[in-house]
Amino acid sequence: MLILALECSTSVAGVALLKDGVIIKEIFSNYKKNHSETLLPVIDRSLNECQYVLQDLSAVAITIGPGSFTGLRIGLATAKGLCTASGLPLIAIPTLEVLAHNIAYNSLWAGTILDARKNQVYMCVYDVSGGEPVPLAPVNAVAPEIFVANTLELLSIYGEHKIMLLGDGAITYRKLFESSFHQRMIIAPAHLLWPRAAALAELASVKFTKNEFENIDLLKPLYIRRSEAEIRWDELK
Amino acid sequence: MKSINILGVETSCDETAAAVVRNGDEVLSNIINSQIEVHQRYGGVVPEIASRQHVENIGAVVTEALRAAAVSIQDIDAVAVTNRPGLIGALLVGLSYAKALAYALNKPFMGINHLEGHIYANFIEHPSITFPLICLLVSGGHTSLIYMEDFQNTRLLGATRDDAAGEAFDKVARFLGLGYPGGPAVEKAAAQGKAGLYTLPRPYLDKNDFEFSFSGLKTAAMNMCNKLNKNGSLNVYDLAAEFQEALVEVLVEKTFKAARRFSAPNVLVAGGVAANSRLREMMRLKSKISDIPLFFPSVKMCTDNAAMIAGLGYHHYKMKNFAKLDLNAYPGL
Repeated sequence: MLILALECSTSVAGVALLKDGVIIKEIFSNYKKNHSETLLPVIDRSLNECQYVLQDLSAVAITIGPGSFTGLRIGLATAKGLCTASGLPLIAIPTLEVLAHNIAYNSLWAGTILDARKNQVYMCVYDVSGGEPVPLAPVNAVAPEIFVANTLELLSIYGEHKIMLLGDGAITYRKLFESSFHQRMIIAPAHLLWPRAAALAELASVKFTKNEFENIDLLKPLYIRRSEAEIRWDELK
Repeated sequence: MKSINILGVETSCDETAAAVVRNGDEVLSNIINSQIEVHQRYGGVVPEIASRQHVENIGAVVTEALRAAAVSIQDIDAVAVTNRPGLIGALLVGLSYAKALAYALNKPFMGINHLEGHIYANFIEHPSITFPLICLLVSGGHTSLIYMEDFQNTRLLGATRDDAAGEAFDKVARFLGLGYPGGPAVEKAAAQGKAGLYTLPRPYLDKNDFEFSFSGLKTAAMNMCNKLNKNGSLNVYDLAAEFQEALVEVLVEKTFKAARRFSAPNVLVAGGVAANSRLREMMRLKSKISDIPLFFPSVKMCTDNAAMIAGLGYHHYKMKNFAKLDLNAYPGL
């Protein structure tokens, strides 16, 4: 089994190759250039350096959202193009599950928070103690204060848990989180802070063995938030 | 000689389009998924919604283009994709898809300028056109007069200093409550009215250059609408007709003035506004009087489509003008 994983839902362009349970390549770029310039050259480089060609792959995996609207579309459009031309199956995993998987099997909860701009975060809290991330709340776009309130409530229901905050939203709203969660929270260290293509590949391999593939033509990003025009339209009505 | 099949992909605005063109002018399929209905209630194209529609539709549109052309994806020799100018988020969907498709097929791909594609639409349907020529490129985003010695050697003679013709149509249509998209809406209203009953200016017609300006004409139409509304005597059809007439007259006169000045033996019209029937009628009349041959694309080839992208892509293919994997999209020229 050889899986190509593409992660473009944040400012990171991530590509990984998973061969029979082993990560044989991971490229993580979080530096200025945009995804449309970097993604395909990085895919090409990854395959070349591992001496594979696209036809050797078993499947392509992507993070389906939430995240940067444009980033999600570049990733998905690229994956659709690759799969349509090659006949490879496509696997999609929610971004926040991929992020939570950075701390798989940990007794800490994974509080995944991506900066959604406009004073909102895309958020979800996962129990990762069993390996696969199990959501304790629905994925949502809310003000960081709402995330705090909901998560404090969860923590009070479940008792003694501590939470690790992952994602760029943890940095943007660090002060708020520190003053709200105090000792019950840890901000993820730098190497765990972003969704990783390697974690995506690992989760995708599970779906691959279950034959859980997407309809390539119909698949769309999981935006969570509607466009501004649609939101304003509903407000005016 | 082996036939060359180019798959064209176009997502620069609110049409998701794919086409297969053989040897540059044989259109095997030309599939256009228009989003007009989705954007209608907003009175114009919403970039984020357009981008969302593209990524949902692109797969089905390309599949349909291949099916209608009766070619398999392996029969494609290269992929041509619009990468400028246009809505950046919209362009990125088609570009990312097309690049990945070509990469996975191990075939070359070419980045195409959308406006050059519009001009090329004429050559698909009229292979007999000879250079040099004057081209009026007139769309929602552009109004330009271009002198073309051939495909590579072109000179911009003049362009609009403010609103493009199509933009003026859209804005006036919205103001008059005629709906969206503005070009067809004004045209339909104008057909029920009469030009000349109201008088609007013919901007820049007396100037001795090839610049355009439609912002003043647009404002004049809006002011006249307000004034007539106040005294209750507005006939919206007559006003639409006069607005269209003024705009068309400027386009026609300037285009043929350029043809005479540069002794160009042919005149082309390209872009979405070239679908306007009054513009086509007046251009034909002027062509007859001036004895200068005139070429238009068919109405379907005037609006955004991928056949024009694939057709022009064939010429890039022949010149081995291939793009690299890091090809990006650009909102401007």
